[in-house]
Amino acid sequence: MARRKSVPMREFRTVKRIDNSRLVRHMEPAKQKNLFKTAGLGGLVAVFFLFYIFQHFRCIDLSFALEDLKAQQAKAAALNSELKLEIANLRDPMRIDVIARRQLGLTQPLPIQVREYEAPSGMQVAAVRFNRRTRGQ
Amino acid sequence: MQEEKVHVRLLIVAGVALLWMTAVFGRLGYLQLVRHSDYLVRAQRQQQRTIEITPRRGAIYDRNMHPLAMSVPVQSAFAVPSEIGDNKAMAARLLSGVLGIPRDVLETRFDSGSSFVWVSRKLPPDKAEAVRALNLKGIYLQAENQRYYPKRDLASHVLGFVDLDEKGLGGIEHELDSSIRGKSEKIVVMADAKQRWFDGGAAQKDQGANVVLTIDEKIQYIAERELAAAIAKTRALAGTVIVQNPSNGAILALANWPKFNPNSPNDAKTEARMDRAVSAIYEPGSTFKLITMAAAFDQNLIRPEEVFDCENGAVYVAGHRIRDHKSFGLLTVSDILAKSSDVGAIKIALRMGAPKFYEYIRGFGFGQQTGVDLPGESKGLLHRLENWSPISIGSVSMGQEVGVTPLQLVTAVSSIANGGLLHKPHVVAEMRRNDQALPLTGALAPSEPKEVIRPETAATLRRLMEGVVLNGTGKLARLDGWTAAGKTGSAQKIDPATGRYSPTQLIASFTGFAPINDPAVTILVSLDSPVGQHEGGQVAAPVFKRIAEQVLPYLDVRRDVPLNPKLIQASYKHQAAEESATLEDFTPVDFAGLPDEPPAQEKSDQPEPVQPAVTVALDEGGDIAVPDFRGKTMRDVTEMCLGLGLEPVLVGSGLAVEQAPTGGASVRHGAKITLRFGLAEEAVKAMKTNTNRRR
Repeated sequence: MARRKSVPMREFRTVKRIDNSRLVRHMEPAKQKNLFKTAGLGGLVAVFFLFYIFQHFRCIDLSFALEDLKAQQAKAAALNSELKLEIANLRDPMRIDVIARRQLGLTQPLPIQVREYEAPSGMQVAAVRFNRRTRGQ
Repeated sequence: MQEEKVHVRLLIVAGVALLWMTAVFGRLGYLQLVRHSDYLVRAQRQQQRTIEITPRRGAIYDRNMHPLAMSVPVQSAFAVPSEIGDNKAMAARLLSGVLGIPRDVLETRFDSGSSFVWVSRKLPPDKAEAVRALNLKGIYLQAENQRYYPKRDLASHVLGFVDLDEKGLGGIEHELDSSIRGKSEKIVVMADAKQRWFDGGAAQKDQGANVVLTIDEKIQYIAERELAAAIAKTRALAGTVIVQNPSNGAILALANWPKFNPNSPNDAKTEARMDRAVSAIYEPGSTFKLITMAAAFDQNLIRPEEVFDCENGAVYVAGHRIRDHKSFGLLTVSDILAKSSDVGAIKIALRMGAPKFYEYIRGFGFGQQTGVDLPGESKGLLHRLENWSPISIGSVSMGQEVGVTPLQLVTAVSSIANGGLLHKPHVVAEMRRNDQALPLTGALAPSEPKEVIRPETAATLRRLMEGVVLNGTGKLARLDGWTAAGKTGSAQKIDPATGRYSPTQLIASFTGFAPINDPAVTILVSLDSPVGQHEGGQVAAPVFKRIAEQVLPYLDVRRDVPLNPKLIQASYKHQAAEESATLEDFTPVDFAGLPDEPPAQEKSDQPEPVQPAVTVALDEGGDIAVPDFRGKTMRDVTEMCLGLGLEPVLVGSGLAVEQAPTGGASVRHGAKITLRFGLAEEAVKAMKTNTNRRR
């Protein structure tokens, strides 16, 4: 069989012009509404989820901060107790007595060195205060 | 064909995905549903910590809210040996250096096999910080509380003490332990991977209650200082001072010697921790004659001016001869008390009879607990009436064959001071939790006072007891500026060697109150076995005087008798010279070095220099003769009393039937006159009786 000489194929380029500009996508309002609804709901869930995560981690952070504050409060309370204890120690009557008599040389007055006075009535005190005030003005 | 291939591939991928998803969800379901509880427990074990919070013990305050006992948070170190692992030797070495505990001791603790061992408890802050800085694995710090008594041994017998676990072991700490301690609480906290806590548990709900005592720390200090001074001076073995408010039974001070420091109770001997005021029983001796007299007066069996023959110092009771401490002849009842005649007291008791006498003794609270809110109270010793021997009435009337506690005696004397009402002695004023007052229940519940003698009897006894201080055995208890009443006592102790009363070992005591018209304090002083001078009037009465003269001005009690500057200065100078060498810290006043002491002491022949600002009290009243009020109405009596400057105490209704002091007696300005009112017939009868008696 004789080999046939190949003939080059002629190619044709045809341009088919399709004008879709007149095509209008039909929008179904119900479906679109549904889409927005779903997207909105999804967004809301996502926001809630993100908010939950934020809140959870914020809660943990605040818990740490709270524990730190509690520790500080406990420390301050302990210091307060120690200071109260020190005040109580310093107010020991024996300590005061010894300081008064030994260091300051104080002595208890003789009964005859103490003069008793009647406590002034409230009215008298008020009158004296009033006079002082008016004098000051 | 091509499309089929694509479908197959898609199916394979979808199948694999489905399998994968099924595996994942299956595993999730297995973990969440089947193994849920196991993993929950494991997670909790990793993340949660349960810690036990022991609430801080409530504080104890005096009546002016000055703290007497309080707790401060401290840290204690503990170890979990299993967590230390192989580093036990190193941990022991490092901790030993910081805490000063021998290394081998720590190693032994770590090797003990326990899951928890204390390393050191209640560390000072610097040591706790050093342990924390070591950051050793398996060594932790636990918050605890340490009990402190900032005033050291002040009121130690009232407060008591606690052990290492803060459990109350004495005094109020023991009596109110459950309330002061609060309840331990377990809370759950979350921990992260670094074992930092977050999401801690709720705050403590049931904190320890704070206790407010009736004790006044200043009065307590005065009592303890004067007791210590007296012990140093008399070399007595032990002593007790009680200061009580007679109007309500509140104990203002309760001091014992020997005492102890509750911050280190184990350093003190057991006897030093004993609260003698409520636990020690002793024979009251002559102070018990007050009870004998009270019983006889209350039954109108005797009158103050009635004369008894004291038989020159000896009397026979049931064939036994009882000798008096001195030979007395004829004595009035007032003198029997003032001179403390045993024979006189016995004769009065014999007139009364044992049953009535016993009834009054019980009525005054002897032979039974007073119900004070302190632990270890003794009920004293009083034989039942059926067990009394024929001689018992003689012995008991002079304070032998009967055992009392100092608290019983001071409470009984307070009832004489306040007009005949026996109040329950108490040291707890109130309890508070979170600034809210708690109801006082059980032993703390306030009780109604019991009338043991009539107000007229009490008034008569007060006058007689004043005589003891002015003219009798208690002269050294006379106060500068205030009236005082009391009774001395010098009771022999039983010598354990012979089983008989020892002639040298005595319990010297003085019980009294001041001022007489409106007593602010009742004070009991008791010294066990003073050496040298050993009578109550010699050694205990001066202690009463010194305490009363400091306590009364502190309580703002106005003076009711004028002062004699010369006498006061002389007595204080003598006192200072006598005591300055021995008492040192305990001498409250060292007047020897007083800069403004008048030089007139040395120049007694010169006229007394005028001393500015030394006039203290004026003798406003002088002696006032008390009218006979019997048969008069309340209005008349009140008007007459007010006109004369006397204070009437009215009991009952109707016409005046009885009065104390009786008509014609001399009293001072402002003195209280106790009057009993009754039916008109009774008043007429009383007046007739009096007229007949005069005839």
